[in-house]
Amino acid sequence: MILLEDVYYKYEPERIEALRGVSLQIKEGEHLALIGPNGCGKTTLIRHLNALLLPASGKVTVGGYNTNDPRHQADIRTLVGMVFQNPDNQIVGMTVEEDVAFGPENLCLPTVEIKKRVAEALIRVDISDLACRNIENLSGGEKRLVAIAGVLAMRPRYIALDEPAAFLDPAATKRVLDIIDKLHSDGVGIIHITHNMAEAALTQRIVVMNEGRVYLDGTPREIFEKIGMLQKIGMQLPQITELLIKLKESGIPVHTDIVNMEDALEQIRSLAGKFKG
Amino acid sequence: MYHTGSFIKGQSLIYNLDPRVKLAAAICLSVFILWVKPLIAFVIGIALLFAALASGISLRTIGQAIKPLLFFIVLIFLVHALFNEGEALVSIPFFGISLSYAGLQQGFFVVWRFLCLIIAAVLLTLTTAPSQMIAAVKYFLRPLKLLRVPVDDIAVMIMLALRLMPILLTEKERVETAQKARGYNLRRSGFIIRIKAFLSLILTVLTGIFRRADELALAMEARNYQRGERTSLVELKLTSSDYLVLIFLGGGLVIFVALNSHFG
Repeated sequence: MILLEDVYYKYEPERIEALRGVSLQIKEGEHLALIGPNGCGKTTLIRHLNALLLPASGKVTVGGYNTNDPRHQADIRTLVGMVFQNPDNQIVGMTVEEDVAFGPENLCLPTVEIKKRVAEALIRVDISDLACRNIENLSGGEKRLVAIAGVLAMRPRYIALDEPAAFLDPAATKRVLDIIDKLHSDGVGIIHITHNMAEAALTQRIVVMNEGRVYLDGTPREIFEKIGMLQKIGMQLPQITELLIKLKESGIPVHTDIVNMEDALEQIRSLAGKFKG
Repeated sequence: MYHTGSFIKGQSLIYNLDPRVKLAAAICLSVFILWVKPLIAFVIGIALLFAALASGISLRTIGQAIKPLLFFIVLIFLVHALFNEGEALVSIPFFGISLSYAGLQQGFFVVWRFLCLIIAAVLLTLTTAPSQMIAAVKYFLRPLKLLRVPVDDIAVMIMLALRLMPILLTEKERVETAQKARGYNLRRSGFIIRIKAFLSLILTVLTGIFRRADELALAMEARNYQRGERTSLVELKLTSSDYLVLIFLGGGLVIFVALNSHFG
């Protein structure tokens, strides 16, 4: 479990307060979306999860280890993998397998084990065919998957992803999101920053941040019911929910607490059935 | 496009050699090329060219590696061709310099040696994955650990330098495109404006690279990188073909040394 207790953090030298008393509990195997306006502290928050940033006050514990304790930083970074927003700034190796091997090499694992983990990570993100390819010749989506594989090779229990679908075309976005979904099904805890409400709606829990604080926390349905509160901080609803609200406003009797396409389709079908009947 | 650190996956004898053998061979041949008589350097150069072509490296790729150094190659050739004390073929009045047959010959062989070094470097980098090259460098530097030289850190530094090379080129192209998109036309500008544009390009590229390097350092830390001992994906293992190449190369060098002293 990851536990944040009243965490404060300031960026020096400007002394900008990025986190102001954040308390959060993230269970193992949970899929959580972190949303909020730009500059609200999302990236700062996930960087606390693998001890890249340490709280100015408050406490962060990962699997029982306090991130402030330097003796456990290696354990914490193995438990929580971090995928940065721009894979070009994360990828260290010249070829795919070299990059994926970087983490296990840092763990001083024997060559046989490193090879095993690299092969396993590449299979998990479905890019085994790219193993020997030069990083510079990969597409944006492929680089994103290499970055995820690089983290997976360390066998983390949680992965924190900073806007994993940013700047990707729809096909690449779908591929990356499907892989994230598959990892979650395999039991890996996912903490996923996004600006896309439809993406957030597919998770189990949404944490909305605003001005360095947790503004809302709940299931997608619970969050998207609070339309007024979301609009107050400039957030939008998933398009499908907005459509249903507009249908209701025009007199069609639909439920508006629906956040994904499947549920919306089901409701529209049942409505169409009633009209036919 | 060829750049330092480029690697093309392929299958040939040279590709499959142990990186230590390739690195040692490249260093030995480079020293040898500079030391032996011109005719022997010519023969070694031809052999290197054949080895490169046999490994699937095209003349175009070799040309790409030579292109950025073309100015220096021409300069070296001209200096040797024009400032030699041999019998003048053509004299250039007022400047007191003359083009001589001996000068042309000397210029050709100096440039040839230089080209041989480039071919050896291209052959080494294109047939050896960067991780293998780094493993070989680390292997040869291993004795320095006794003197507390941080060999593992040096290996990571080489890896990062190779990684940042294409990023640097991309960043340069990005800034140039941004300048052009805002109507910057250097072809029609004067010398001072060109210098200013160059400085602004350098500063912007460097700022971008430092920002990226900062982020990369953070990403490395996130993946548990710490200074000191690391293991490697690459397993260094000498095979029978490595031993054969070492014997062949050693024999070849002995023959060339003998020929060199014979012609001397």
